[in-house]
Amino acid sequence: MEGVHNKKMMKTLLALIPVKSPLYYFHPVTRLLLFIITGFIPLFINKPELNILFAALVMLLFIYSRVSLSSLKIYLPVIICAGIFTFLTFIFFPGDDSNNQAIGHLFSITIYDRPIMDACIAYSKILALLLSSIFYFSTNRERDILAALRTLKVPFVVSYVLGLSLRSAGMFLEDLHTVREAEQARGLDYSAMKFTEKVKLYSMYIIPLLSLALRRSDEISNALFVKGYAIKGSGKRADYILSKYNFTVVDIISCIALILLLILIVYFKYSYHLFDSDQSIFRYFLK
Amino acid sequence: MENIIEINHLTWQYNDTDHPALKDVSLKIQEGEFIGVCGPNEAGKTTLVSCIKGLIPHNLLGSYKGEVKLFGKDVKALSAKELAKYVGFVFADPEAQFTSMSVEEELAFGMENIGIERDEIDRKIQWAADITGLGNLLDKSPYDISGGQKQRVAIASVLAMQPKIMILDEPTSMLDPFGKDSVFNICARMKAELNMTIIMVEHTLDRLARLSDRLILVGEGKIRRFSEPKQFFEDVDELAELGLNPPSSILFLDKLKKAGLYHGEMKTTVEEVIQVAQSVCEKQRVIREARS
Repeated sequence: MEGVHNKKMMKTLLALIPVKSPLYYFHPVTRLLLFIITGFIPLFINKPELNILFAALVMLLFIYSRVSLSSLKIYLPVIICAGIFTFLTFIFFPGDDSNNQAIGHLFSITIYDRPIMDACIAYSKILALLLSSIFYFSTNRERDILAALRTLKVPFVVSYVLGLSLRSAGMFLEDLHTVREAEQARGLDYSAMKFTEKVKLYSMYIIPLLSLALRRSDEISNALFVKGYAIKGSGKRADYILSKYNFTVVDIISCIALILLLILIVYFKYSYHLFDSDQSIFRYFLK
Repeated sequence: MENIIEINHLTWQYNDTDHPALKDVSLKIQEGEFIGVCGPNEAGKTTLVSCIKGLIPHNLLGSYKGEVKLFGKDVKALSAKELAKYVGFVFADPEAQFTSMSVEEELAFGMENIGIERDEIDRKIQWAADITGLGNLLDKSPYDISGGQKQRVAIASVLAMQPKIMILDEPTSMLDPFGKDSVFNICARMKAELNMTIIMVEHTLDRLARLSDRLILVGEGKIRRFSEPKQFFEDVDELAELGLNPPSSILFLDKLKKAGLYHGEMKTTVEEVIQVAQSVCEKQRVIREARS
């Protein structure tokens, strides 16, 4: 079996995936549309089991794109925290609905069926949305996102600022790492610090990080000027990166299929109330 | 040869500073020349080249007197796009000039700005990558390569735009010896093969002197010396007073001169210095034999 390290890998915004991933047969616009549609669909579905199925489908997309599933482990804290906050919010603030029925007690707090059902719906939507976002940023580089936006005729300045903001997160972490290394080199021992001291220290990082961010923005401004870029009067651009991608028949069919899927879901939701929570198996379980 | 850069009585003071960074500077540079710029820290070298590029006064705040002309046109009247066609600029910190997330896009970015078509961009990327030895790095992120490679990307991205004037502001200051070598080799190749006016700010004087047609010494915001390398190094003591550390070969020849053993002009290449040393030894041998 061919090991992961023997393949030619490509660094995306969140992961490292093979250059030969089948997902790259598709144009960046198709991939962006896939992200938008997979992000939108759960918003129309109020049956948690369907959203969980949808999340499972996104997991299959991870496998199809050859993203190492072990790389998803780092997102588990976010997924778990989102769940805890959602359920605690609905448990502590159940609302004043006369149809609420008590289903149990937790530390003298009465738990009602409807808020728990609402929490299940909200969390299943968040989970599906989180996974589809992680999927998109794990399988696309900044360049792919810019190519998609520029194909869709988004103004260059908008796409460029978006690219810079995606990059700035990495730069910010790199600067933080540099500041922390400099502190450690001068003998600061984090392990010996109390929690309150750590909090105080983190708040003090703001000053060097802010000044570094300002310096970087100044450098980028100079670099753009030096390369002849001006917001006003820059004229028509060749958009060289677009020459690296082809929008094929497969892309056209895929885009039409994705849009049709979204239209069908919206149609069945509002015409036949097909995705309402009334028939959800979660509701039967809560009863 | 035509003067393509003319600086007339230029004085520049950055906002919130006590004194001008450049004081009444006048300078003329001819087409096709390789100009080396040296001087101690805070002398005004970067300010001088920033004025030629137009970063001053377009992108930096301060008080500006005098004029800088490129091909007879005042830089104040030129747009960023026009300036990019005339002058390319490579910063000391390669990461400070990256605007894209792949080497290929980095090379294409400047060309897109000045309105070059896709096919032409593709051809020029291959050409610049060939000169700078970046052929196998085009897919990589410019942030994930070595320091020397980063600086080569920075040079290639400017070179691909084929400006008439190329300014390199301390391009080797953040590099290891191997990286420095690669940058100087590219500069030597640009000088030999391309009809480009090159201005290089640099502290590695021995390498700079060998490449330069003329050297500029900047000190306290003024042009202290502007001449060919052989004349530039004539008065070593004065250079040391002005904060410069001349190359060891020059110091060696200066010692020979002071000892009355050599009376010719200063030499900048190792081969020339070896020849001088050999001829001095030969003369000494003849004198010793005559005495005995």
